[in-house]
Amino acid sequence: MPCSLWPPIKKEEYKGVWVYLEREGDRLKDVGLELLGKARDLAQKLGGAEVGGVIVAGTEEMAREAIYHGADKVVIIDNPELKIYTPKEYAEAIATVVQKYKPEIFLIGATKRGRELAAYIANTLTTGITADCTALEIDPKTRDLMQIRPTFGGTQLATIKTPQRRPQMASVRPGVFPKPPRDTNRTGEIIIEKVEVTRKTRLISVEKRLEKDVADLPPVESADVVVAGGRGLGSADGFKLLIELAKLLGGTVGASLMAVRAGWAPHTRQIGQTGKTIRPRLYIAVGISGAIQHLMGILEAKTIVAINPDPHAPIMENADYAVVGDYKQIIPLLIEEIKRLKNQQ
Amino acid sequence: MKIVVLTKAAVPLSSAIKIDPKTGTLVREGVPLTVNVWDRDAVEFALKLRDRYGGEVIALSMAPPSGIPALESLIGMGVDRAILASDRVFAGADTWATAYVLAKTIEKYIPDYDLVVAGEETIDSTTAHIGAQTASWLGVPYVYYVYDAEVKGRTLIVRRFLEDEGVDEVYEVEMPAVISILKGSQVPREIKLSRKLNARERIQIVSNKELNLEQDCVGLRGSPTMVAGMAPATYPPRKKVVIQGEPREVVKKIIEILKQEGVL
Repeated sequence: MPCSLWPPIKKEEYKGVWVYLEREGDRLKDVGLELLGKARDLAQKLGGAEVGGVIVAGTEEMAREAIYHGADKVVIIDNPELKIYTPKEYAEAIATVVQKYKPEIFLIGATKRGRELAAYIANTLTTGITADCTALEIDPKTRDLMQIRPTFGGTQLATIKTPQRRPQMASVRPGVFPKPPRDTNRTGEIIIEKVEVTRKTRLISVEKRLEKDVADLPPVESADVVVAGGRGLGSADGFKLLIELAKLLGGTVGASLMAVRAGWAPHTRQIGQTGKTIRPRLYIAVGISGAIQHLMGILEAKTIVAINPDPHAPIMENADYAVVGDYKQIIPLLIEEIKRLKNQQ
Repeated sequence: MKIVVLTKAAVPLSSAIKIDPKTGTLVREGVPLTVNVWDRDAVEFALKLRDRYGGEVIALSMAPPSGIPALESLIGMGVDRAILASDRVFAGADTWATAYVLAKTIEKYIPDYDLVVAGEETIDSTTAHIGAQTASWLGVPYVYYVYDAEVKGRTLIVRRFLEDEGVDEVYEVEMPAVISILKGSQVPREIKLSRKLNARERIQIVSNKELNLEQDCVGLRGSPTMVAGMAPATYPPRKKVVIQGEPREVVKKIIEILKQEGVL
């Protein structure tokens, strides 16, 4: 017997693959467009299902942008009260629309706001949700969505299904799927829905926070190149060199737990089991010895370069390129050389 | 202020992880469990509010009996009392079924709560679902990533940080409410041995006999999601090329790597 709190559903009434399209001010965040690309792929595997999008308090221009990136239908939730984001009210409004259109699959970008909304929406719809999926497939036999996510400290890859409930929900972090090409010839339907919510949360103020020195660098999870420093830097000054190198490479800076504890970098930059798990194309670890907890956070980096005076440090034995040496000599020369090369171009 | 802190007795290290081959869920029975690291931020946050406004902090956890020492440590930190929802039928629950038990326990045993505080996520499952799902079950507003709060009558004013947008936001939320605490934002106080001594007396264990929840709605059976497969994650093998020598030579080689990786 299924749980009596689960309202009976007819699975065949749920059709299409829908995406929550998160706004940042007047534009759609990339993660929603990336998910539209994945939604098209899943829709095709489901035999040509429809791809939909939901925007809260968005414009027709945003809806068209979503159509250019793969949506067949976009619902704009039109309620002046929802112009400004608040978690409960947004989650309720989105759930109301999803309940009405009954998609088979509903995807959400696992941004900070997306993570905040996703589980509340799933609960309101009496369905399951899988967080931070890194792959999504269709089970050809059952048509179920296979939600694949790393779990238990990244040691395991779990495949999760929601066989009895619809929609099937998953969140996906930015940058996991490529953004589909923009095709201005694509057409689709734009629907305006008025949704009422009970307001219990009010936004009072917003301020841009400036983390000293690293404020204008992207977060570690989304950067292609991460240059990180550890206790071996010896001082906060070492980070200035790393910031300069990261900027030259179009990347960002990260830190080990020891460097964060020393106060050389903010906690938001920490990489490892108690910090961030990252999957950059290139990871440069400077003066990081490589405790197991740190290594757990970089398992999925494509290439690891470690710079350390100790050739036997654990990071050196877990790197693609173990550079033995003093960063104080190497990094300034490296910066100089990159600048020279860039000037030649 | 009556503050409930949701805490998980988590598997602290990946080396301690055991998977049930039948259900693909995490085995927690018989495994040494400790308080999820980020829940200690939540507990510290709740204790600070209590210190400022008075009242009581109650830790709530759903776990097998091996979760008791984790709650004892929280009492050692200063939590007034704890409730452990523990029953074999709760085993194998996904976040939907876990949040259901937590919410029902709150409704039954702490119906006059003002605030529920959760950690940002857990170290062993990292879903960040429980806060929002508990809020949904309780039908109350919620805000994540909070690092500061102030109480004005029945309103909670919270300051939170959204890391990916680099913004601080201040919200006014009607209580009762659920908040999750930005990980790393608090410095958890020490566990005092003297407080921990009689901790067991302050822990109430409730089973499904008392909660009386439908068995089909809890544990593995009550979970909308199911684990269809579990495989050890595989990662790119490392090349392990050692580069050493005179700094200029070393830099030349690093430049080659950067070009090869397409970042130059």
